[in-house]
Amino acid sequence: MALMRKKNRQSAEIPTASMADIAFLLLVFFLVTTVFDEEKGLAIVLPEAQEQVQVSQKNILHIVVQEDGLVRVKRGESPAEQTVRSNEIGSIWRLEFAKNDKLIAAVKTAPGAPYKFMIDVLDQLQDAKADKISLQILE
Amino acid sequence: MMQGGFKRKSKAASEIPSSSLADMAFLLLIFFMVSTTFRKEKKRDVTIPAAEATRKLDSPRKDVVHLFIERDGGVYINDVHYPIDQVHQVIGPMYAENQALVVVIRADEDVQYQWVDAVQKQLQQANAVRVTFYTNVEHRMTRERR
Repeated sequence: MALMRKKNRQSAEIPTASMADIAFLLLVFFLVTTVFDEEKGLAIVLPEAQEQVQVSQKNILHIVVQEDGLVRVKRGESPAEQTVRSNEIGSIWRLEFAKNDKLIAAVKTAPGAPYKFMIDVLDQLQDAKADKISLQILE
Repeated sequence: MMQGGFKRKSKAASEIPSSSLADMAFLLLIFFMVSTTFRKEKKRDVTIPAAEATRKLDSPRKDVVHLFIERDGGVYINDVHYPIDQVHQVIGPMYAENQALVVVIRADEDVQYQWVDAVQKQLQQANAVRVTFYTNVEHRMTRERR
């Protein structure tokens, strides 16, 4: 009867020694893969309703965003206009702000212009540390 | 051959018990899974514009309300579609409850500006003047390539 001896001596239990490793692996995996969508963007404070501030024309830099993405710049009182690409706004602002530190950027966007063109200009202005920005619609 | 009485008595294992390590790890896992809250709003089909000057917003999550403007000018707040002229009726009470409210405008990059302007006017009417235009971070290098 020696041939009928049970040969299989393996334990029937699931090995639990590596359970901690598995759990930590899952933990680390989820920690690493979780992305929180943080709030980010271009912050601006709108003027309050019915708040009318009289600003002298010479302190305004008129920036008109056209439908095609080109930007017309008019400095204060001077009637001269200049048509530029949106990525030149930053340097224009720096230049003008150096001459007049009371300058306000008045961004007027055409009603039919895509939103991203306004964002491009706002981006340039904020990148050039402009803090007095007024957003309007072109009438 | 015991000479003195200094037999080692302590039989306690000097190893840190590791049998409960799995329980601890799972506990942590479950804790983080339960305590993580995701934004409940469903995803909208908006392409966010990119901007170099993008800054992180410091406001706590409870002060933030998202306002989506889709390409066709449709406005959504908390997954509900509102006509533009009713936005102030929605934001107004929110602002009355929480003065620190920040409205994050997530508008599609190709939406016509008139809709964004109309929303801004509504927000002014509701007194919620702190606004952020949601943008993605853009690096100077990618801009130059464009």
